[in-house]
Amino acid sequence: MRVMIRLDGVGKTYSSKATRHTAIGSVSLEIAQGEFVCVVGPSGCGKSTLLNMVAGFQPATAGAITVNGVPVQPGAVPQGLGYLFQKDTVLPWLTVEQNVGLGLRFAHLQPDRIAEKVQGLLKLANLEPYAGYFPYQISGGMRQRTALLMTLACDPQVLLLDEPFGALDSHTKINLHRELHEIWRQLGQTIVMVTHDLDEAVALADRVIVLSGPPSRVLLDHPIDIPHPRDPYAVRETDAFGQHLKAIWAVLGREYQRTPDGTRSVTGAAA
Amino acid sequence: MSSTMESLHTPLAPPAAPPARHAGLSDDARVRIYQLVLLALFLGLWEGLTRVPYLIKNTFLDPFFISRPSLIAEQLWAWTFGAQAGFLMPHLASTLGATLLGLAVAGVTGFAAGLVLSQNPILARTLNPFIVCCNSLPRIAMVPLITMMFGLGLLAKVVTVWFVVFFLIFFNTFKGSLSVEKHILQFCQTLGGSPRQILWSVRVPSALAWTFAALPNAISFSLVGVVIAEFVGTTTGMGYLIVSSLSTLNASEMFAAITVLGLCGVGLVSLAERLERRLLRWSPQFNER
Repeated sequence: MRVMIRLDGVGKTYSSKATRHTAIGSVSLEIAQGEFVCVVGPSGCGKSTLLNMVAGFQPATAGAITVNGVPVQPGAVPQGLGYLFQKDTVLPWLTVEQNVGLGLRFAHLQPDRIAEKVQGLLKLANLEPYAGYFPYQISGGMRQRTALLMTLACDPQVLLLDEPFGALDSHTKINLHRELHEIWRQLGQTIVMVTHDLDEAVALADRVIVLSGPPSRVLLDHPIDIPHPRDPYAVRETDAFGQHLKAIWAVLGREYQRTPDGTRSVTGAAA
Repeated sequence: MSSTMESLHTPLAPPAAPPARHAGLSDDARVRIYQLVLLALFLGLWEGLTRVPYLIKNTFLDPFFISRPSLIAEQLWAWTFGAQAGFLMPHLASTLGATLLGLAVAGVTGFAAGLVLSQNPILARTLNPFIVCCNSLPRIAMVPLITMMFGLGLLAKVVTVWFVVFFLIFFNTFKGSLSVEKHILQFCQTLGGSPRQILWSVRVPSALAWTFAALPNAISFSLVGVVIAEFVGTTTGMGYLIVSSLSTLNASEMFAAITVLGLCGVGLVSLAERLERRLLRWSPQFNER
């Protein structure tokens, strides 16, 4: 097993003159190359912060993070890392096609190489007919697909997904689950996805990590041994799915009861 | 009898739609018609009231002060095709040239300054009180000084316009550039964009939308700036025409010059809107029909 992402005692404490709030206590994790890991936990538990720290958007205040063996420097995105946000990230003044090619233009690829690669990606996500559309002309699901293609265009080895389907309706969500799963099976990236949706986590992941409320730590590291290829929708009908869901919820549900809205320990942490 | 039976068995007709008063006319056409009606009403009142002897004698509604549309039209004809044909054009060209040049200089420098300061928070905070101070100065009152410093020609006019319009463009560009959401910048970073690439492909286009929002005001203020600069000391331009007509107490000449300026404003702003529509065609605000 080759470790792609390593978190070693990673912590995050926000300090101001009056207060100190420890959002993340100490998280240690190893994520293997090609693994699909979902991170769940009560809201406010620092799931997104954790992803942000792996991407170099925010500095960790304790511990160390490496991606592909290279220590993450705050302010610099690690090589080969893609990130998908829940919020809209397509640029409204570019067409779908131009958006997908943005990263390739950043990399100064030849225009015909860009066009070729963009065509292939649009085909992959069935967005070909919308190539010339501006983002305001397409649905939220299509915009999120476009954003995924923008990321994939850069051939990331690691994909960080921060509740990427949180704003979408359930039908669109299921379609995107299938597409994402297919892409992952074909290209074999290492995927870490933060989600609120436990069903989604169990249906997609090889491993589900449950974080506690702040100061958060790993409560449960639960492997999902349902063999691939799976259909992320049909798998929900299986017994194995139900058992995994039950096992994870036993831990997560208790944590939700402890911090129903994830705010109690925020006030408790002020020192 | 049969007709009664028929009406009893006829299902209730849906309530008749109110007759469309302008059936077949597009909104655009209706707006044009309303505009023409409003204009006709205004000109008609002006023309009519300045012909009532009582009003002429007892109020300001005296063609000596405010002329009247027919006299203004005669004056415009005289300046363009009539007795003084060719008189208007050099003045108009001088004013328009100074306006467009001033606008261009203010636009480019304001846009650049807005972008640079939005990228340098320390610089922006340092300069903020000075910028607010400059923007609060009574610039119109400083036109005589500007004229003394930069002479009686084009340069003084351009400097005046720059001084008036720069801040409009600057503040809007600054706000627009800062309004880009953080996660979009971070996303572009993960796509491998360097700070320079992100500046050009994200900050500039999104600031541009805000800059355009300032353009109609910028155009109108530019015209005002040029005309006021021309009041103080030049021998060409629409402002000069206004001042010289005042000194000869010729209201028709003055209003003819003012009419030309107003038309220039409308023309320039509508050109700017067309350009905006073209450049911002990705924005839903121009596609909601």
